[in-house]
Amino acid sequence: MERRNFLALMGTTAFAELARCMGLRTPPENPKADITIHISPIEIEVAPRRIIKTTGYNGSAPGPVLRLREGQSVTVDVFNETRNSEVVHWHGLFVPSEVDGSEEEGTPMVPPGGIRRYSFVPRPSGTRWYHSHVHAGRDLKRATYTGQFGFLYVEPKEEPGNYDAEVFLALHGWDPHLDSQGGEGNLEVTYSVYSINSHALGSGDPVRVKEGQEVLFRILNASATDQHRIALPGHKFRVVSLDGNAVPVPRELDVIEMGPAERVDAVVRMNRPGVWILGEINDQTRNAGLGIVVEYANRTEAPQWNPPANTPWDYTIFGREAETPVPTGGVVPLVFRKKFAGNRWVDHWTINGKSFPKTDPIRVRPNSRYRLRFDNQSDEAHPVHLHRHSFELTRLAGKATSGVMKDVVLVPARKQVEVDFTADNPGPTLFHCHQQLHMDYGFMTMVQYGS
Amino acid sequence: MRCRQLALVFLILIFAAPPGRAQDNYEIQVYGSDLVDPQHTMVELHSNFTIDGSKTIVNGVYPTNHAEHETVEITHGFNDWFECGFYIFTSITQGQSWQWVGGHIRPRVAIPKKWHWPVGVSLSNEIGYQRRQYSVDTWTWEIRPIVDQKIGRWYWTLNPTLDRSFHGESVNQGVVFSPNFKFSYDFTPRVAGGLEYYGSVGPVTGFDAVSQQQHQIFPAIDLNIAPQWEINFGLGVGLTGATDHLIAKMILGYRFNF
Repeated sequence: MERRNFLALMGTTAFAELARCMGLRTPPENPKADITIHISPIEIEVAPRRIIKTTGYNGSAPGPVLRLREGQSVTVDVFNETRNSEVVHWHGLFVPSEVDGSEEEGTPMVPPGGIRRYSFVPRPSGTRWYHSHVHAGRDLKRATYTGQFGFLYVEPKEEPGNYDAEVFLALHGWDPHLDSQGGEGNLEVTYSVYSINSHALGSGDPVRVKEGQEVLFRILNASATDQHRIALPGHKFRVVSLDGNAVPVPRELDVIEMGPAERVDAVVRMNRPGVWILGEINDQTRNAGLGIVVEYANRTEAPQWNPPANTPWDYTIFGREAETPVPTGGVVPLVFRKKFAGNRWVDHWTINGKSFPKTDPIRVRPNSRYRLRFDNQSDEAHPVHLHRHSFELTRLAGKATSGVMKDVVLVPARKQVEVDFTADNPGPTLFHCHQQLHMDYGFMTMVQYGS
Repeated sequence: MRCRQLALVFLILIFAAPPGRAQDNYEIQVYGSDLVDPQHTMVELHSNFTIDGSKTIVNGVYPTNHAEHETVEITHGFNDWFECGFYIFTSITQGQSWQWVGGHIRPRVAIPKKWHWPVGVSLSNEIGYQRRQYSVDTWTWEIRPIVDQKIGRWYWTLNPTLDRSFHGESVNQGVVFSPNFKFSYDFTPRVAGGLEYYGSVGPVTGFDAVSQQQHQIFPAIDLNIAPQWEINFGLGVGLTGATDHLIAKMILGYRFNF
């Protein structure tokens, strides 16, 4: 054995031993985990001769759909086969901070070459997802810019199953780069190609349906930064759940709008035989791949796209028109502002005038209920996310509502949104904008439980 | 082998010739490394007025005092590493009507941004003709390396430019070193201010005496009113007797999506 190879072997062994001592490797005496996730470099062919080199779960992007049973304990072994520390966030689950998958909350990272076992009881039921939750900054080959995302569906104890087929669709942008759009503006992330699941529009298999079927589409916006508006010409989406939570008033719509990390469950009655494109209504983005063909049985014509009516998206139509009294915990104002850092540079973001990690935490008492008032004083919409809890929308741009439960809400530019949440899951809890560039540049704070 | 020999002869012809010099006040701009976006076209108008310049005909060239130079620059981006620009130079001098001065072509290559270099790098080649009444050299070639960097609100760019005359009085003077640089600070998203420097120090084989060199400093302002617009103002002060003493400049540019 050459000296160099010997040293490399010794180094790997020593590192593995160190990881084991730190509790980051699964002791061999432990039983096999229910689920195993390998984080590793992968290549995916999103379109013919369009190879994307990225990082994925179990050799693919998206990762496998994980189906868990609500309330039934599960163990997950995560193997990190990359050169960077990683962590998997179980988005939308009410799990303890130490397994939630956020370093800021105290979840241990999985070091390069390391293994970590997560054990938790999945709840609540519904469409959740799992994804990388690391800092990327200007390194657009990390975190949610990569293929590290996948559906996590928590089956309820009683599944009504009011549909004939179930289709999981994850939207994502690839080959990200920072761009000031040709001018002197701030740097934003743009993508050269998009996909639904692992293929760009026109590649991969179509969604095959039959006339008369009721198909439940579980749609996830897994983009690191982009909002998307999705339509299926000739058909209507009956939106039944937002972020995996059933809405009080299901509605039929032509277009679904989703901020990063949001999920929509929508049932479509297949009553227009043909071959259609389900995709982004923006022509440029759809032509760059954000679409998938929906093909009725025995139909072979070219896929059709017709621009839908441009109906505005409004969360409140899914809720009850009711004023909700201010909770006993009071109102917590959170003002979002952009902090100019230079043209052709990445802007910084503040919550109540401070950027993370200097932001003031939101202090709560266990089992108290609070109203968070998001005051977006910037010109961009922000998909803000509260870890380990859900919240109820109570007011959107002055319009009262109730009953819509979410874990991400898109706060429109220059508008206010109010949500109520109960502090019923003690432990450090992260609150942040799910736009990766925003969270990496200051748009985060912590919810701290105290007496 | 033949190609190498030809290249060597070519380099000798360029660099071994005696020095020449060049300064024009038709396009006063320190280049950044960014190219015009692919399939976009930038149209710029450079308006320069010499408030205090030469007052007599020198070597057959019209005086620059109170001369108004209007230059149209049209640049098209072809891909993420190549663009090509065209110039039309005009002048209004005392006692003359609005006159066509000449035209240049400027192909430019750049390191694509996706390579993620810590600095922006590009190389501009500008070749063209100007009438004898407006320049002692009628055919010239400018090689302009460009290195720049943005750090937060600060920006700097350096253009260590080499000029070469092919026809005219300076044809035997070889390659002239004309360094330009700029630094600026983004005071707000819409307003950046800084200093631009334009020099011409003489042939690379032996600089001129300082009194014969050209040095100009321009306090300048860039306005960013919209992504498709480029607006730059400056007031230049000549630091040597060989330099026009006072020049006001303005660049107005617009990016078209074709």
